[in-house]
Amino acid sequence: MTKRNYTTVNPCVMCQPMGSALAFKGIENTMVLYHGSQGCSTYMRLHLAHHFREPVDIASSSLSEKGAVYGGRENLKKGLRNVINRYNPKVIGVATTCLAETIGDDVPAIIREFKEEEGIGDDLEKDIIIVPVSTPSYGESHVSGYIKALDAIVRTFAEKPGDEIAEKFPNEKLNVIPVESLSPADVRELKEIFEVMAGGYIFLPDISETFDAPLREDLPKIAQGGTPLSEIADMPNSQASLGLGIVSKNLAVNYLEESHDVPGYSVPIPIGLSNTDSFFTELVKILGCPIPVKYLQERGRLLDAMVDVHKYLYGVKAAIYGDPDFVFSLTTFMLELGMNPVLVATGSKSRDFEVKVRQIVEKINPEFEPVILNGIDFDTLNDAVSQCNPEILIGNSNGRYIAKARNIPLVRVGLPIHDRVGAQRILTVGYRGAMEFLDRITNAILEATDTFTAPVQAEPIAYAEKGNEECVEGMR
Amino acid sequence: MKEKIGIVDTLEERKPYIARKQEKGQEIPLACDNNSLAGAISQRACVYSGARVVLNPVTDAIHLVHGPIGCAGYTWDIRGAKSSGIETNRTSFSTDMKELDVVFGGEKKLSNAIDELVGLYHPPVVFVYSTCIVGIIGDDLESVCKTASQKHNIPVIPVKSEGFKGNKSDGYKAACDALKKLIKKPPEDPIAKKAPRSPETIKPKINILGDFNVAGDVWLIKPLFEQMGIEVIVSMTGDSTAKTISRAAEADLNLVQCSGSMTYLAKWMQTEYGIPYLNASFFGIEDISLALRKTADYFGSEKMKQQAEQILETEINRIMPEISRVRERVKGKKAAIYMGGPAKALTLIKGFAELGMEVVIIGTQTGKKEDYEQISYSVRDGTVIVDDANPLELAELLVKQKADLMVAGVKERFIAYKLGIAFCDFNHDRVVEFEGFDGFVNFVQEVDASISSPVWKAVRQRALIPEAVEPENKSGKIEKAAVAAESEKKSGRMEKAVVKEMIPEENHATECKGILLKPKFLHQKSEAAVESQV
Repeated sequence: MTKRNYTTVNPCVMCQPMGSALAFKGIENTMVLYHGSQGCSTYMRLHLAHHFREPVDIASSSLSEKGAVYGGRENLKKGLRNVINRYNPKVIGVATTCLAETIGDDVPAIIREFKEEEGIGDDLEKDIIIVPVSTPSYGESHVSGYIKALDAIVRTFAEKPGDEIAEKFPNEKLNVIPVESLSPADVRELKEIFEVMAGGYIFLPDISETFDAPLREDLPKIAQGGTPLSEIADMPNSQASLGLGIVSKNLAVNYLEESHDVPGYSVPIPIGLSNTDSFFTELVKILGCPIPVKYLQERGRLLDAMVDVHKYLYGVKAAIYGDPDFVFSLTTFMLELGMNPVLVATGSKSRDFEVKVRQIVEKINPEFEPVILNGIDFDTLNDAVSQCNPEILIGNSNGRYIAKARNIPLVRVGLPIHDRVGAQRILTVGYRGAMEFLDRITNAILEATDTFTAPVQAEPIAYAEKGNEECVEGMR
Repeated sequence: MKEKIGIVDTLEERKPYIARKQEKGQEIPLACDNNSLAGAISQRACVYSGARVVLNPVTDAIHLVHGPIGCAGYTWDIRGAKSSGIETNRTSFSTDMKELDVVFGGEKKLSNAIDELVGLYHPPVVFVYSTCIVGIIGDDLESVCKTASQKHNIPVIPVKSEGFKGNKSDGYKAACDALKKLIKKPPEDPIAKKAPRSPETIKPKINILGDFNVAGDVWLIKPLFEQMGIEVIVSMTGDSTAKTISRAAEADLNLVQCSGSMTYLAKWMQTEYGIPYLNASFFGIEDISLALRKTADYFGSEKMKQQAEQILETEINRIMPEISRVRERVKGKKAAIYMGGPAKALTLIKGFAELGMEVVIIGTQTGKKEDYEQISYSVRDGTVIVDDANPLELAELLVKQKADLMVAGVKERFIAYKLGIAFCDFNHDRVVEFEGFDGFVNFVQEVDASISSPVWKAVRQRALIPEAVEPENKSGKIEKAAVAAESEKKSGRMEKAVVKEMIPEENHATECKGILLKPKFLHQKSEAAVESQV
């Protein structure tokens, strides 16, 4: 292995502000503003637009040298004013970048000042809500940025200034909060499940439409869809919160439990059979209703599909990389299919990651001894791949260099996917997602090992000529 | 609709940046070359990005980003600049600064990182980019690089690209300053001392400045000059290496294509080494012809002039049939141009003219006063010229100016698509060459592919409004118009101006005759559906 101590080569994570945008963009009528230099917003817009193939507007306070020296107060205020002026949003998420954090701007104080100046009150219904979140790029990763932003959103809506003890109006709803950004297709699938099973549910954040918008007659300034604000405000009244993901801490779920007595449950992101099973089991436990026949049917179909492909996948060595919880759930599924996850890696730094992955390997197939890495870059992954020799790579499109160099297939999933279309429609959750993903993996392996399609031998000449004539005849 | 002052509805402070050309030759006042307005959502990036796009095509350099991970991550191999050999530039190197580095300074980590990378990759040069945070915590890049340079005996060059210290243009300048340090004083030329160089005695040498070899552009240009008996020492920075750049001062002439980024370097080479420069573009028949003729004229050799004419004749004859074929299909269509630099915008105007297309919007991220004057001189009356546009302005302009095609980059692509407008990517991530004769063929074919695609026909009729009862029913159109007016009133959102004549006479419903359709379904289902059914 190449020993590197000081350099990151080909990063496998994105920075914190990126995570905050993925969270904010799933809220109704919301704009995001990065407090920092102009480049941050443009680069992340580019990254997201490329992935989702949607216009992505993110504002910037466009800090200049003057702002950096004397503080970004005026720029931030001006930025907010202009965003309100042009986009008329209901919520503005203000995420800090490394620049704003390092010059030491007190963003919540500036926002308070701004609201005073502009006469913006704290009425959740009437006033524009500004949600600050501290996400310096030098701290953690996009995953933590996502979790922090969701926490900040929930807190802003739940904390009613003035009330000592917030009054509860039980709503029988279920809060659902993932710890990592799922694809729009995943969110759609999950919403459909809750639609059928839960009387009411609040899915935060809902990017199913904002990042995968239908072509409309007009182009709205802010993409339609997203979790309705009234629903977010209603989250402290819900009967329970379901966190999706068990490796990273779900701050929003914890907050709702600790401060608003909303019991929180966390299950792995429902990818694969057992994870989807625990997801439904937990739902049954919380909601007290049976699993709808439709999903039992889907489960049966998944089992059928797993049987169909079991020989193709048995013992196939796979390397999986991406965000911690996503990789954990995918690894579970790979194990269930009989695949050998020789290398399991995440770019985020996470101590729990290795523990959790070890546990699941122990549980499903203790014979396997995967290499488990966290906080890696792609160079480290490349070294590990050379060592572990996987037959297939599963992860975002940045692994294409490794896959190409080793001539093994790459099944693209996660973020970013910049070199293929349809990233917004990749479905991995639920039984249906498992089936789709199973097919993709199997077909990638079949494609790589397929020897049937190449012509082995030419037809006998006389026979071929006859065939050709008939063909021409037929065409006439 | 309420009366709007100005060309588009935008922020008061943005209004001076948008102008319409009214009268031929008349100078229009257009604000430009300023820092972007907070909250306006500029399409520009930062100083670092400007430096990065210019320098990154240097193929054998280590491009080390001293900063937090994001800056390196979002710029990893995003530019399709091709290399004919080594591809070190496609790897992303970062010091990945963390909180502790910010608190205690990142110099030590940087110096260790340089040592580590030099040990692993043995590069001929290391570029060290500074980012916002470095400018704030005050790491002394100069001294770290100087020490490393002496230690490893290779140039380790600091690129002063703190994101907030200016805009993208300042990044271009930072990149040029870095390139300057690589260019070596040429060896004494004994012949040149005796007599002035002449193309008859010595093969003339040129550099191409401001070509980044995106998709292999340079490889279509270099052979043209070689056929004219000219050696191209280096193209900066497309497919360049530390070695070829170091030889740049041996040139007799610099051809500057991307003027926004490279004029600064060309001027420096003129004062420092007495190398004159000419502006040139290798896009479109007119500009390529001009570039070859200008160069031949400069060297003043009759033979070279003849060779240039011969190349032009053969090549133009070769590609003209395809250009004419496409011209017949796209002429009269309206184009919108939004580019990073003004040089590309200007050359595109001519390119579209060759296709019989009219430019109705033209804008750049980094144009300067002189650039806009030239642009204003080159476009027709009524064309809207815009500096540092934002998505809302672009969207409104596209609709108001009735553009049929937009040429821009990824961020703009989806604005055009959502409005049902064809799009051609003339940015860094295109995969086909647009320069040179074959490149122009690629370009016109892409323009044709996007404009002529049948998807727009479907898109123009976005919603399914079954009117299958009587195919001849003409009243449907009136009804549609009424709905459009209604929804405009209600939503106040930006509407795509439905170009009536573009709606095919036969509506979708007549095509699916016989299928059982329930006309009322959509209306009952939701309010939103009614609004969007125009």
